[in-house]
Amino acid sequence: MTANPSVFLLMVNGQIESANFPEFDDLYCKYCFVYGHDWAPTSGLEEGISQITSKSRDTQQNFVWNFPIDISFKSTNPFGWPQIVVSVYGPDVFGNDVVRGYGAVHIPFAPGRHKRTIPMFVPESSSMLQKFTSWFMGRRPEFTDPKVVAQGEGREVTRVRSQGFITLSFNVVTKDMKNLGYDTTTADLQNSSVSTVTDAFYRT
Amino acid sequence: MAEVHVIGQIVGASGFPQHSLFCKWGVHTGGAWKLLSGLREGQTQVDNPQNEEMAAWSHPIDIHFATKGLQGWPKLHLQVWHQDSFGRCELYGYGFCHVPSSPGLHELQCVTWRPVGSWQDQLSQLFIGGGLQLKNSDLIYSGADRYRLHTSAMGTVHLQLGVILRHFDRYGVEC
Repeated sequence: MTANPSVFLLMVNGQIESANFPEFDDLYCKYCFVYGHDWAPTSGLEEGISQITSKSRDTQQNFVWNFPIDISFKSTNPFGWPQIVVSVYGPDVFGNDVVRGYGAVHIPFAPGRHKRTIPMFVPESSSMLQKFTSWFMGRRPEFTDPKVVAQGEGREVTRVRSQGFITLSFNVVTKDMKNLGYDTTTADLQNSSVSTVTDAFYRT
Repeated sequence: MAEVHVIGQIVGASGFPQHSLFCKWGVHTGGAWKLLSGLREGQTQVDNPQNEEMAAWSHPIDIHFATKGLQGWPKLHLQVWHQDSFGRCELYGYGFCHVPSSPGLHELQCVTWRPVGSWQDQLSQLFIGGGLQLKNSDLIYSGADRYRLHTSAMGTVHLQLGVILRHFDRYGVEC
């Protein structure tokens, strides 16, 4: 066992469960991870594209993807904690593939099970004429790199329209964060049996 | 030195009279704190919600501080502005909240207020918009000269802030 670790590990698994977009049908989603310079993925897939799903026929009108996420990271510093960026696409009335929403959320850092519902937004055209042309030609305004959604800089010039929500669920396991001195949960949770499960899980 | 990581999002805002809002945020700390990495201030996108009442910003916050003392714990201050269809920006509210001092994920609702003037100012604000703004934005998070102000309540800003502390137990600090 490492006496003085310098690296801690973060293992995340989970799924992009479902979405709620009242105005659209036949959507698929793409996810990718954005992380800082001190982070590196050790295993798992960094990106993925889901299946195309239609709205359910009942009153909830949900979209269900049930799309698995499985990735592990190693890092020396919690700065740049990984975020998952989800982009949702679907066909418009002419059959072109247009973007329906972007959203991002940090991977939870306390070990355990977490559920996150995040709002999705899409960039807006700057004038009425451009709005009509983009609707007609099927080329809506979109971000050239979806990773912009996970950053804080350069957002002040964007105008967006939010519509819809996505629900994700995560299971998080960390290794050696406590040994390096990091406290991610309050003291009463630290004495529970969650820490012994994480010790038994990784054997390096 | 003990370290504090603030990792989270400014999720959005609700309860404001109009949509098309954005938020300017900043973090203020005392003298014993040093910013190691991350942005200390920023501005979110302008969001116009289609079906919901809440404006969605999802603006990420990732700041790493090192500190020698507990005084001057970081305070997050916010200014919510409204951008109308002509591109003019109008102040909608000021608010601040302390970064939580216990590790873990916290859901915060930050209340906001707006300065209110005489009845002539309120009448012109009703017709042409605009309104009073603070000359010195330090007043958002300090209590020193607040007694001169007359304000009215505006909406709330929703934040989801996660706090990771490092080496606090080495110095005997309980949180």
